[in-house]
Formats: sequence, structure tokens, C-alpha cells
Amino acid sequence: MGPRNVFVAVVAIIAIATGTWMSYQLMSPPPAPQTATMLPAPAELAEFSLVDHNDRAIGREVFAGHWSLVFFGFTHCPDICPLTMRVLADARSQLANLGQDPLPRIVLVSVDPERDTPEIMSQYVGYFGDGNLGITGELEEIRKLTNGLGIFFEKSSVGGDDYSVDHSAVVLVTNPSGQFHALFGAPHDAENLVHDLPIIMAGQ
Amino acid sequence: MTRHTLTLAVIILLAACSTEKTPLVATDVVISRPIPGMQTTAAYFVLSNNTTQAITITDVTSPHFESVEMHESTLEDGMTRMYALGELTILAGATVRFEPGGKHLMLIRPTGDVDTVTLEFYAGRAIVLTVNVTFKE
Repeated sequence: MGPRNVFVAVVAIIAIATGTWMSYQLMSPPPAPQTATMLPAPAELAEFSLVDHNDRAIGREVFAGHWSLVFFGFTHCPDICPLTMRVLADARSQLANLGQDPLPRIVLVSVDPERDTPEIMSQYVGYFGDGNLGITGELEEIRKLTNGLGIFFEKSSVGGDDYSVDHSAVVLVTNPSGQFHALFGAPHDAENLVHDLPIIMAGQ
Repeated sequence: MTRHTLTLAVIILLAACSTEKTPLVATDVVISRPIPGMQTTAAYFVLSNNTTQAITITDVTSPHFESVEMHESTLEDGMTRMYALGELTILAGATVRFEPGGKHLMLIRPTGDVDTVTLEFYAGRAIVLTVNVTFKE
């Protein structure tokens, strides 16, 4: 094989390799969430009339304008709720360090409005970072919000005068249109949230 | 065997062991300071039974909280629930973990502003373990 033929062969191999690589790049799907479940189509939230942690009247429009991570829990919960709130705060902090913009807002909807006054909610959500939102109010109004989202909760006895509240442990993602967009099933892990949230938020 | 007889047996056993090694040991004890304004926090630790007999924890108290309850969180079908554990038996030589999302002590209504918490574990009327731990901030 003469030098000219060698040159032609090398050019041909490079051309084939480049073409193969480019076709893989074009055909490979965009990154997908690993643990989050995306809704086939974002869903509108039900109408409700509740208060935020500053005791201001709010409706479903409070979800508009932000990406939010929405958890349903209660402040007397010693284990799962602070654990989940810490995971959400940790994920938000990691996303901030990675330069994620916009950052999702953390929202706690009380499933124990009897004990979770706006003042207590303010102290609680404030403990896990600035910009968090606490929602409480009349039980029936909370149920208007949760029923439409497949969130269940009910009081349970743990002995003595105290009670606990069994509740769905899922974390919902709402989009800036104020719609239910995706969800993370429990148990929660900050690394999963940090991986999936930028993909979810870029996908709209 | 009735519960009283069993408790008595444990007390005798623990008395017999007292000059040798501690019958029940708690390690990796973590109690977060209650979130300001909140009434509860949880205690997590690993309990090891160093004896050759089962030990049944019947109660845990603290002078720093109005109430202490042994609970277990569970996650089933996406629902989280919390159960009261009336008693907890730790088999001979066994280890039981109290950890986030599982068994934990629920500490209810702090009685004052302290840095160190004392927990007293009872088997019947006998204190089988006393733990002093500084709040995790």
C-alpha cells in the first residue's frame, strides 16, 4: 500500500468514526430523572383558602412563580418530618453551590393544623432556611388541597394524651405555573434531588 | 413466666453482672436540640445487650423532658406511620439500632434550657442504663 493509499485509508477511518460518534450524540436521549416520577401532563391544583406562616390568606396562586418542593408533615413529628426537611434543605443548599438558578422553594403543608399555628409554622420552616413557605389553616381547606394530589393523612394514637398523624411521605414538585409537575417517593435522599431537579426544571 | 417474675429475673441477673461489665451499652447517641419553639425531638443510638439473657426495656425517662416514648416510624405504601413500642426486648448478645426513619425515642416538652440530656432506661423498676449526652446543634 503506497503512502497515498494509507492517507486515504486514515481519512476514511476518521470520517467513519466521527460520523458514528455524531450519530450517537444526535440519537442519545436527553438526560432523564433517575428517581423522580414526572406527570404525563402537569396538573392544576385544587382551589383552597389557607394561611401562610405569616398568617396571610393564600390560595393556590401562592404556588405560581416558583419551582417548589412540597412536603406534607407536622411540627410535632420528631423523626420523619425534620429528617425530610433536612434532606430538602441540604439538597437546596447543594443546588445553590452548583449555581442552580432558579432554586426550588421548600414548602411544608401542615397535616396537623390543630397544633400548627402560623407562628409555630414560621419558627419551624424558618429553621430550615430562608425563603421557605409554611401553609396551615382549616382542616377542610387543607383536605381540598391534599385530596386532589393523592395525599392522605389521619390522626393516630400513640398512647397518652398525645397523638401522631400518619401521612403520605412523598415530596411533590410544583412548577412556576403553580401546577403539580413531578414527585419524589420516600425515603428521600439529597443526592437524588440534586441529580433530578435541574433536569426537571430545565424540561419545562 | 409472668412479667413480674421475668422482671425480677432481669434485676437479679443485672445485679449479678454489675461487677463485671455493663449489661446494656448505648453507643452513637445523637439527640438534636429541639427546633426553637418546638415541643419534640428524637434520640437515636445503638443499644447492645452484653449479657447472656434477654433484657426488656419497659420504660425510658428523662428529667429534662416531661415525657419520653419509644416509637417506631414505618413507611408502607408511601405512608409514614409512627407506632408506640410498649416494651422492647433485646436478646442476649444482640444489638438494636434506633435510627432516623426507624426506632427512636420521642422526647416531648423540654422542662428547661439545658445542654446535656440524661436518659434513664428501665427494666421494670430497675434502671439498667443511664445515658448523658450533649445536644447536637
